[in-house]
Amino acid sequence: MSALLKTPLFDEHVKLGGKIVPFAGYELPVQYKSGALKEYTAVREGEAGIFDITHMGQVRVQGKGALDFLQYVTTNDVSKLVDGQVQYSALLNEQGTFIDDITTYKIDDEHYYLCINAANRHKDVAHLQAEAANFDVMVTDESDDTTLLALQGAKAQSLLQDLVGFDLEGIGYYKFARGQIGSASGMVSRTGYTGEDGFEVYIPNSIAVEVWNVLVEQGAVPIGLAARDMLRTEMGYALYGHEISDSVTPVEAKLMWITKLDKGNFIGKVAVETRKAEGAQKKLIALKLVSRGIPREHYPVWVNGEPSGEITSGMHSPLAGGGVALAYVKPEHMTEGSLSVEIRGKQIEAERTTTPFVRSNVRK
Amino acid sequence: MSVPTDLRFTKEHEWVRIEGDTATFGVTDHAQEALGDIVFVELPEIGRNVDAGEAYGVVESVKAVSDVYAPVAGEVIETNDALDGEPDLVNSDAYGAGWIIKVKISDNNADTELMNPEEYTAFLDE
Repeated sequence: MSALLKTPLFDEHVKLGGKIVPFAGYELPVQYKSGALKEYTAVREGEAGIFDITHMGQVRVQGKGALDFLQYVTTNDVSKLVDGQVQYSALLNEQGTFIDDITTYKIDDEHYYLCINAANRHKDVAHLQAEAANFDVMVTDESDDTTLLALQGAKAQSLLQDLVGFDLEGIGYYKFARGQIGSASGMVSRTGYTGEDGFEVYIPNSIAVEVWNVLVEQGAVPIGLAARDMLRTEMGYALYGHEISDSVTPVEAKLMWITKLDKGNFIGKVAVETRKAEGAQKKLIALKLVSRGIPREHYPVWVNGEPSGEITSGMHSPLAGGGVALAYVKPEHMTEGSLSVEIRGKQIEAERTTTPFVRSNVRK
Repeated sequence: MSVPTDLRFTKEHEWVRIEGDTATFGVTDHAQEALGDIVFVELPEIGRNVDAGEAYGVVESVKAVSDVYAPVAGEVIETNDALDGEPDLVNSDAYGAGWIIKVKISDNNADTELMNPEEYTAFLDE
């Protein structure tokens, strides 16, 4: 294992009392001084949280063959994007299982930008560059030069507006704009991983500390990995390594909505079609505990007294008022059978529910 | 934060207050700090007998699940039911309102096996 990396904001995290842990090859704060619950509450209840998500990777795709290339390597229909639009998508292998889940930004017909997961970065880039050899396209890994901040919560727009040289109000959900940010140029999208209104801000590393500190001084609350995962899980958003991995296809992961089988050929298409025809091996469900307890990753899920699967993400949801979780179960148990979660040898009754587990406040 | 002087401590950062044949258990301020925001405490059944060093309950924070161990042996006679609704009492008042259970002591090993406040303070500094 190589040495852990630091983001340009590492010293700021330490100054703010961040408790530093290893995560996806980086040293990142799991929480700051006031603790994960207060951070979570700030984002859910009207403030704005600021997240250093610089560990995530960015890949630029340019050239006359950019659209054809992305149609072939990603699952969603890139031809549907207009300039300035973002799309949730995935990279599959020939077996139809996930290499990664990603977002695709369309700058123009010959220029796209991908945001990828930190833990998958080198695997993704190697895959994209290998496939790019067959297209008129250039794939550039810009991860090391780019700082990515998320600003999430009701006050996100007003805090960020002071710092950017363009109008944020005009940026719709899953749209983005480029322009002046602080003393440099960057990109802002109305996207996020929390279920609150907010933005993700791509800037050069050179202004990372400046932008972070201005936003924190104006009242943005620094948010660590623990609160970020609470906010993500409450929305039921999939996370690579949990709900999605190279052992499941979009059929199991309930991600057929980003997998467009009618758009033409793409990597993994045949395998997904086959899986769809044969039926999923397991199905992702959302559940809520009826009695007290916290469902956590890998806890067994039972249906009608028989083992059926396991939790992939779970938490105590302050807003839902109990334990909520995503879990894989046998396909026949997706809608039928009485559920329980095994917690320390005891069966705790659960019921199926829908995601998000709590109300989403994203601006649709 | 200073360590209360009327308690005894374990290396797992539990405390015990002994009054006559009753012992009250909790986790130390150091433990709650390390665990982070506590969101669930699993309490034992009244009447259960626990041995010294035996896990008698579970404390769950946002990110972690931790067993809590009995500093001395005894029969569980009371549990802190306030923790059902306010598990964060363990964070806010680890040595007071955040107590976890009371036992009727069956074997008092506190003087020989447990750390006194000075020893625990030194242990924290190691």
